[in-house]
Amino acid sequence: MAPPAQSQRSQSPSQPSGKSEVSDLKLQLRQLAGSRAPGVDDSKRELFKKVISYMTIGIDVSSLFGEMVMCSATSDIVLKKMCYLYVGNYAKVNPDLALLTINFLQRDCHDEDPMIRGLALRSLCSLRVANLVEYLVGPLGSGLKDSNSYVRTVAVVGVLKLYHISASTCVDADFPSTLKHLMLNDPDTQIVANCLSALEEIWSAEASTSEEAAREREALISKPFIYYLLNRIKEFSEWAQCLVLELVTKYVPSDSSEIFDIMNLLEDRLQHANGAVVLATVKVFLQLTLSMTDVHQQVYERIKAPLLTLVSSGSPEQSYAVLSHLHLLVLRAPYVFSSDYKHFYCQYNEPSYVKRLKLEMLTAVANESNTYEIVTELCEYAANVDIPIARESIRAVGKIALQQYDVNAIVDRLLQFLEMEKDYVTAEALVLVKDLLRKYPQWSHDCIAVVGNISSKNVQEPKAKAALIWMLGEYSQDMQDAPYILESLVENWDEEHSAEVRLHLLTAVMKCFFKRPPETQSALGAALAAGIGDFHQDVHDRALFYYRILRYNVSVAEQVVNPPKQAVSVFADTQSSEIKDRIFDEFNSLSVLYQKPSYMFTDKEHRGPLEFADELGNLSIGEAAHNVISSQRVEENDKDLLLTTAEKEETRGSSNNGSVYAVPYDSSTSVFASQTQIESAISNPTTAGHSQHASFGIDDLLGLGMPAVPDVASPPQLKLNTKAALDPNAFQQKWRQLPVALSQELSLSPQGVASLTVPQALLRHMQSHSIHCIASGGQSPNFKFFFFAQKYEEPSNYLVECIINTTSAKAQVKIKADDQSTSQAFSSLFELALSKFGTP
Amino acid sequence: MLQCIFLLSDSGEVMLEKQLTGHRVDRSICDWFWDHVISQGDSFKSQPVIASPTHYLFQVVREGITFLACTQVEMPPLMGIEFLCRVSDVLSDYLGGLNEDVIKDNFVIVYELLDEMIDNGFPLTTEPNILREMIAPPNIVSKVLSVVTGNSSNVSDTLPGATGSCIPWRAADPKYANNEVYVDLVEEMDAVINRDGVLVKCEVYGEVRVNSHLSGLPDLTLSFANPSILDDVRFHPCVRFRPWESHQILSFVPPDGEFKLMSYRVKKLKSTPIYVKPQLSSDAGKCRVNVLVGIRNDHGKTIDSITLQFQLPPCILSADLTSNTGTVNILGNKTCSWSIGRIPKDKTPSLSGTLVLESELERLHVFPTFRVGFKIMGVALSGLQIDKLDLKTAPSRLYKGFRALTRAGEFEVRS
Repeated sequence: MAPPAQSQRSQSPSQPSGKSEVSDLKLQLRQLAGSRAPGVDDSKRELFKKVISYMTIGIDVSSLFGEMVMCSATSDIVLKKMCYLYVGNYAKVNPDLALLTINFLQRDCHDEDPMIRGLALRSLCSLRVANLVEYLVGPLGSGLKDSNSYVRTVAVVGVLKLYHISASTCVDADFPSTLKHLMLNDPDTQIVANCLSALEEIWSAEASTSEEAAREREALISKPFIYYLLNRIKEFSEWAQCLVLELVTKYVPSDSSEIFDIMNLLEDRLQHANGAVVLATVKVFLQLTLSMTDVHQQVYERIKAPLLTLVSSGSPEQSYAVLSHLHLLVLRAPYVFSSDYKHFYCQYNEPSYVKRLKLEMLTAVANESNTYEIVTELCEYAANVDIPIARESIRAVGKIALQQYDVNAIVDRLLQFLEMEKDYVTAEALVLVKDLLRKYPQWSHDCIAVVGNISSKNVQEPKAKAALIWMLGEYSQDMQDAPYILESLVENWDEEHSAEVRLHLLTAVMKCFFKRPPETQSALGAALAAGIGDFHQDVHDRALFYYRILRYNVSVAEQVVNPPKQAVSVFADTQSSEIKDRIFDEFNSLSVLYQKPSYMFTDKEHRGPLEFADELGNLSIGEAAHNVISSQRVEENDKDLLLTTAEKEETRGSSNNGSVYAVPYDSSTSVFASQTQIESAISNPTTAGHSQHASFGIDDLLGLGMPAVPDVASPPQLKLNTKAALDPNAFQQKWRQLPVALSQELSLSPQGVASLTVPQALLRHMQSHSIHCIASGGQSPNFKFFFFAQKYEEPSNYLVECIINTTSAKAQVKIKADDQSTSQAFSSLFELALSKFGTP
Repeated sequence: MLQCIFLLSDSGEVMLEKQLTGHRVDRSICDWFWDHVISQGDSFKSQPVIASPTHYLFQVVREGITFLACTQVEMPPLMGIEFLCRVSDVLSDYLGGLNEDVIKDNFVIVYELLDEMIDNGFPLTTEPNILREMIAPPNIVSKVLSVVTGNSSNVSDTLPGATGSCIPWRAADPKYANNEVYVDLVEEMDAVINRDGVLVKCEVYGEVRVNSHLSGLPDLTLSFANPSILDDVRFHPCVRFRPWESHQILSFVPPDGEFKLMSYRVKKLKSTPIYVKPQLSSDAGKCRVNVLVGIRNDHGKTIDSITLQFQLPPCILSADLTSNTGTVNILGNKTCSWSIGRIPKDKTPSLSGTLVLESELERLHVFPTFRVGFKIMGVALSGLQIDKLDLKTAPSRLYKGFRALTRAGEFEVRS
């Protein structure tokens, strides 16, 4: 139904506008329409081809609808097919004209050739014009009873199409029960499979309103039916097998002998040539044995070979999908694959997305027995022509080093990288050596000797430079010329563009100063001066803070900036095990490829296979962008609270007291206040938490405090009904229908964060502000709430989705309203209520 | 459940659009996709599954043509990818290759094929034999035929018999005057030899290809002399599993014509048929290259079409390479290819010369990987041997043929 406006847009300027061509075609078609001359079919075919090709390149040819329909009276099947294609494409925008086609399509539905019957029926159902559904019921009914299986196959899918156009017509004609009968009795398995997919959709959609449909849906995963399908599984086409296997994963066998029966029956599916079947079978095996630990392990052994073959023999795209799944399995059972590490060696001309996954696999399967070989292999990639892969492989070596106990061999290799004189290799290796030193300080002697030889001029990348500077500061007592290198770096302060590097430089100079004061003093002075004059807020603040703390007391400053460090034992993992488990539950789905559970990247409406509405299909990209953003946000938050990456650890480690440097400076009094608080905190470390008041002050200064109090002079116009009621179904329906009126981020007071240990706390609080909760969930630090409120003495509802992250003290709020105009007023009410949370 | 399939040319132009469900996918998604691909830099290296703001996209690129499928719901990813791979296989089979022109010339056939392969977003049949019966391929024979008979429809009048039969891969009852069946073992050797000349990985991926022209409903059994060497096997749907499980015998009713009966892997092979010894030594802005190629152990069969390819590192300004056997070509994209052919009896082929590095470089830090190609007729390097092929009810005249062939797959020698 491509509306003309859209098709125009997708047209590139070089293409013909098509105006004159289209009117030309119109004329020619009109001439041919009535003609019965011999050879007319050939000329028609040429014309039709032109029309379709115009349609394909995006020219709007809907104006030819009438002529096309007139020409469609033909016995030529190719002409018919082209005509069906055309009609299917434009019927939706021309519902009136579509009526014209009904006639000839209905006639074709009674053609003696089953192929034409089938094709006509398919096209008829693909018109998707709501006011034509009455013409569908008859042909569909006879199609389902057709003697030819091809026609029946088409008719079954047609029923589903009808259901999506008009559910009530479909149900009233009693098609679902006809399908059920076919599903249980038809000899053709393609028809059984189509019935299954259609009924699954129809009954899941009906289940919310009809008890019977819910029962029928349950019956699909009942023992007799599952056995009926499993016993015939070899007769199904490969794609239908995927469908059946998907259904089997939902089935819960009653005892272990049943589990073994099913697995025995399906074992040969692992040998199937179609990767989709293999993966679906693997999912069945894994799901069935979840509760049986021993068998579950045996399953890993059994599925290993087929999966590895898929990786090495399929196309790169298939390898990619399978590798993503393997990666998930490896995290759960690394030892299973540890002897097959050679499968994950990269081939020269594989695309980099496959190589990247293989590198991840190699790091995941590395253990005591194979580390040496794997690291040897990875080191060869460092000289790879593909620079991003070379970088990744060095990082992989580093990751292996951090997870192994025996690092001798690896450290040597890393140090060799440093001597390779390739700037990106040096850069990556520096970052790794720094991480390594934080975990294994005992290696400092060997490493520092090599690092000392690197000229800082050859290191340009901010991350690597920061790592080098960190090492200079940390090990300045061992490096002869550390103060002088730092000094020269400080001299070039203005040429350093990265704020991260400048921050590190400040800290490193400080550390160096504590260890070798006479040599560093001048550099420190220069650095502090340059830092205080820096335009970057963080750099400026840190410099100022260092300056003041030095003036206050040098030994306290040393305690703050350079306290004795403990070696890092475990770097924070990137994903929580809970998330990994969720992804595992969604095995054989896109979640695995994106490496996040579906709730993070799909909207709720899209998650079920069937629940999306037509409008969603037409969402323009701009409109939908915010969905993606919000899911990204969720992810970012997630990362934040898990303190994931090593860099994060790094910045914390090197700045030592991360939170302190953010002290604002603009008003001298507040600086003074905060400083005294810090001082007191420092001077009595034992009673650091003694004063509620003090810590509150800091929080406030850090911008975490109370949001600006809303203007008291103008009290909110909106009055809410204190006894509002809304049942969950109505809520859900409204939530789906209404657009987002407002979406914003609110801050929580520190007290609020502190009291939010369980969701119930907030519920009671919001209820006192006439905002009621309909659903809530989550655990610290992530909570999710659905609230609703009603206007006083008016049936106007406000719906709110609120995601609170207590670590960042932020709340993501989405508001939907029946009455859009008052949503702003409601939002401020909500904000006010939320900000009062936690205050007595 | 796929919602839409697009075929894009290598300039991002939409060549074909096939809407599959009522939820129409707007074409603007292709623009988004193409922008995304371009932003990724190398257009053919972006991931096969991408999340766009509105849809999840599967892409498979074959011969410069992008097969793009969109969905909004969760679905098994391999189903999408595998289906697109099949579509491209079927199309290249039908059209005798894939390129922009061929698709544009035959877009009606492509539409017809897609129509039969997928309905309402769910794949129906991708079996080439069945599709061939529904839609005749546009080959020369049918063109000639259409000129002679005047019937130019490329759609057969009859529906495929197999759609109704319980052996979906076989058309009912073909008849042949000469009953023939050919079995080919086609093996590819994948090997990695590392910088120190150590054979890091060596395995064979093999396929048993059968070309059968047999009347009626033939029931075949094929057995191997040494099935125990096979590491992992995958079968065409026609193979019965139990006989394999108990006796390692392949028992099957074959599809008509050519098909892949099974594929297998043989891991941990100990040696390669040829050796390649590259030596690179660099100093003072120059790099000396010397590569030797020779036969390692004699299988009694000649090794044909030996080739050697490598990518010169980007930091090389010019190269001067000569060989004592065969020809050396340096292509525009700095790929050097040396085709040797057969190895002569009297000398060892060698390639030597110098590479000039960029002015500021002293030594070479990025080393090329040599990719080796070869072909050996008449031998399966994995050692797999066919024992016998039996037909249950043998027709009076039956011809059976066996062949074997090994060629290099991903055979890499690092320097």
